[in-house]
Amino acid sequence: MAAGALVQRLGAAGAGRRGGFGWIAPALLALAVALPWLVGDFYLRLAIEAFLLGALALSVDILLGFAGLLSLGQAMYFGLSAYLTALCYLHVTQSFWLVAMIVALAVALVAAALGAVAIRAKGVYFALITFGAAEIAGKIVHNTRALGGSDGLLGIPVPAIALPGVELPLRSNLAFYYVVLTVIALVYLAVTRVLATPFGSVLSAIRDNASRVPCLGYNPFWYKFFAYLLAAEVAAVGGLFYPLLRGFVGPDLFGFEISTQSVVMALVGGVGTLIGPLVGGVVITFLQSVLGSFTERHLFVLGVIFILFVRFLPGGLFGLSRRGRAP
Amino acid sequence: MIAVQGLSKSFGGLRAVSDLDFVACDGGVTSIIGPNGAGKSTVFNLIAGSLRPDAGRVELGGRNVTGLPPHALARLGLARSFQISNLFFGLTALENVRLAAQAQTPRRRFLARLDRETALVEQARAVLGEFGLADLADEPAANLSHGDQRRLEIALCMASQPRVLMLDEPTQGMSPAETRAVDALIRSLAGRVSVVVIEHDIDLVMSISDRVIVLHQGRKLFEGTPAEVRGSDAVRDAYLGAEHGAA
Amino acid sequence: MLAYLHFVVLPQVIDGLIIGVALALVALGLTMIFGLLDVINLAHGEIYMIGGYAALTLIGWGGGYWSAIVVVPAIAGLAGWALEELGVRPLLPRHDRAVVTLLLTFGVSLVLRDLAQVVFGTETYSIAAPVSGVTFLAGVPVPLYRVVVLGVGGAAVALTWWLVYRTRIGAVLRATAADPDMTASFGIPIRLVYGATFFYGCALAGLAAVLLGPIYAVFPTMGHDFLVLAFAVVIVGGMGSILGAVVAALLLAQVHGLASLWIPPAWAETLVYGAMLLVLIVRPAGLFSRIGDA
Repeated sequence: MAAGALVQRLGAAGAGRRGGFGWIAPALLALAVALPWLVGDFYLRLAIEAFLLGALALSVDILLGFAGLLSLGQAMYFGLSAYLTALCYLHVTQSFWLVAMIVALAVALVAAALGAVAIRAKGVYFALITFGAAEIAGKIVHNTRALGGSDGLLGIPVPAIALPGVELPLRSNLAFYYVVLTVIALVYLAVTRVLATPFGSVLSAIRDNASRVPCLGYNPFWYKFFAYLLAAEVAAVGGLFYPLLRGFVGPDLFGFEISTQSVVMALVGGVGTLIGPLVGGVVITFLQSVLGSFTERHLFVLGVIFILFVRFLPGGLFGLSRRGRAP
Repeated sequence: MIAVQGLSKSFGGLRAVSDLDFVACDGGVTSIIGPNGAGKSTVFNLIAGSLRPDAGRVELGGRNVTGLPPHALARLGLARSFQISNLFFGLTALENVRLAAQAQTPRRRFLARLDRETALVEQARAVLGEFGLADLADEPAANLSHGDQRRLEIALCMASQPRVLMLDEPTQGMSPAETRAVDALIRSLAGRVSVVVIEHDIDLVMSISDRVIVLHQGRKLFEGTPAEVRGSDAVRDAYLGAEHGAA
Repeated sequence: MLAYLHFVVLPQVIDGLIIGVALALVALGLTMIFGLLDVINLAHGEIYMIGGYAALTLIGWGGGYWSAIVVVPAIAGLAGWALEELGVRPLLPRHDRAVVTLLLTFGVSLVLRDLAQVVFGTETYSIAAPVSGVTFLAGVPVPLYRVVVLGVGGAAVALTWWLVYRTRIGAVLRATAADPDMTASFGIPIRLVYGATFFYGCALAGLAAVLLGPIYAVFPTMGHDFLVLAFAVVIVGGMGSILGAVVAALLLAQVHGLASLWIPPAWAETLVYGAMLLVLIVRPAGLFSRIGDA
């Protein structure tokens, strides 16, 4: 079973440096590329969903593992992106690129507004503001008939992506899978590159000791702000494809469950490793689906796994044993 | 270099600093001493921007910097160390210093590949070498001995190439040998930067200072050369006490 | 106009008052735990849920409503105490305790919610009110039971206030919140204080469940839905403030209730969350200061 093999691999991986994990990332990529030959349509579509949720987990890690900010509302951008995508395809255009640009711009604006406000807040209040904003967004969508209300929007047409010389019909599972795989791989590489810079090093410093950073001459606000924008866009990538996979969107895409699930994925994968949360997202999605077919109690199992990780394996699967501050 | 006028700060009913005036001389070492609770660390915090004064004015190099946030002051050439080591404990000594040096580089280079920014790493190694920490470059700061951590505190400040160096009890918890080393260190730095030091070790203060400011209960009790301070009855009564004796 | 006020607005105000008192009980537990331990207890809603099911079971075994009022808070309190001892306490020394305890209690909430579904199923059960009939408050007909809720709930709130601000136990609590290390060095067993606070805070939630059972019924997600509202209260009132939790609970219940008169209830709820967000942005510390602060 693909999930079992993945978990075994990860168990063997052990602790490693942040960012590059030597052979692991390429190995996983190879596995992912080969997947359509290993499994059928159902698991292929599950893998697509897993990648999209993995992007959400990655966005959590950018904030938590690098800037030291816990966001409990990344679903805000997932939901925003999903709904905008759905509305565009339903009413505005079938052009994938146009939709992508609209979503990227909208998400940037919202994230800039919310981020400017939330980042000024201290400690736990940042988490609460992100939580509150996502809740409100979800409630507004839920209450608005024009946005589909509690039923959401259905019947979203699946476009084809126009590239020079070829059209990629997303209606085909195979094409969809490889498109998403490529996109997620590119996003991961981009994020890794952005964080392996002086900018990223300052973020890590903020996570390590936020009070000392300004004394060195850095204004922490701007670093957190751009990290927040980046994280929002990464989360939005997930939302860009999700409506096309499922054919519908609902207000629960903004919900607390999705936000906290992404935090769970990041934690299980290993906060601060980037590859960990991505893999964690895939693992958890597969686990939930597999468990769900055996038992109705998959939430219970998820909760237990989560508790065990928090309590005993806080470094996650790709465990960075992070040295805490000296007392 | 640093001029303070009428500086005051209260916390609730407690007047931590009252109407303080002093000037820290350019290129020399100015020490601030006083019994516990005299307000020394508060003065540092007020100058360095971690606290906003209730009243008064702070000037850095003739420029009014009252109430500016810490990062602005750092960019104007102010560096301060902390009484309790406030390092990046999860990062290596080298990375600590590199971060400090990096802050002085232009922002447009901030999305460059980190592993290509070798100049900064070399600069950081040089600073570590100056402070005798070259061997410990790849050790996480949390693993360093107390004395090494205190020296890293100062190294972190110097890596920013500041104009003014504010040291808050740099020898806190150090052995006499380590204290003597810091003594020599500060004297060697004094030519390059203006140094303001808060200290409890009176011998050290007398040895390195060009000027000494004595605080007592938030007010300036006395200001003068080490010899003048040693000879002052008021200071002795308030602070020095019998065991330190006369000069 | 007067008739409108009397027959439409006033009943809503009274209703809001009753809901507000129950909401205050749940919020009090949350805020005390945060104020003392810096812990955000995401499982608090599920403790409330445990209270509801415990009441259901007890009454189903023939225990009667009034015995439930006494026993259920104890059960909820014990559940809270267990959560603290087994789950939260080992995480307290960590410097990122606020994050990990939040995540841990979230995991616990998932587990408890699922367990409830396993044991009790997904149906909604109702609890019979112990008294029936109607009485009149300020000329408005009010079910007698709701007056009971008001009375018992109000008494519990008052008791909490008295305990925290007028007794030695409360002084110990406030001292521990202000400075745990200092308090510990005086020989106070702060571990006991932590456990006791969790016990008491969760007991209040259990009491709220018993009181609201006949009004809102019992079902697996009852705590989950209530928790967000309770959080809004805690945030607006000031995290860690007892007075804040009570005032904000009454205030937000009124805002919600009165707003539902004029706008769809779903939007009234959104309004409450909007208020919460506004407070977080403008004055994150909330209306009142934290327990232990000057």
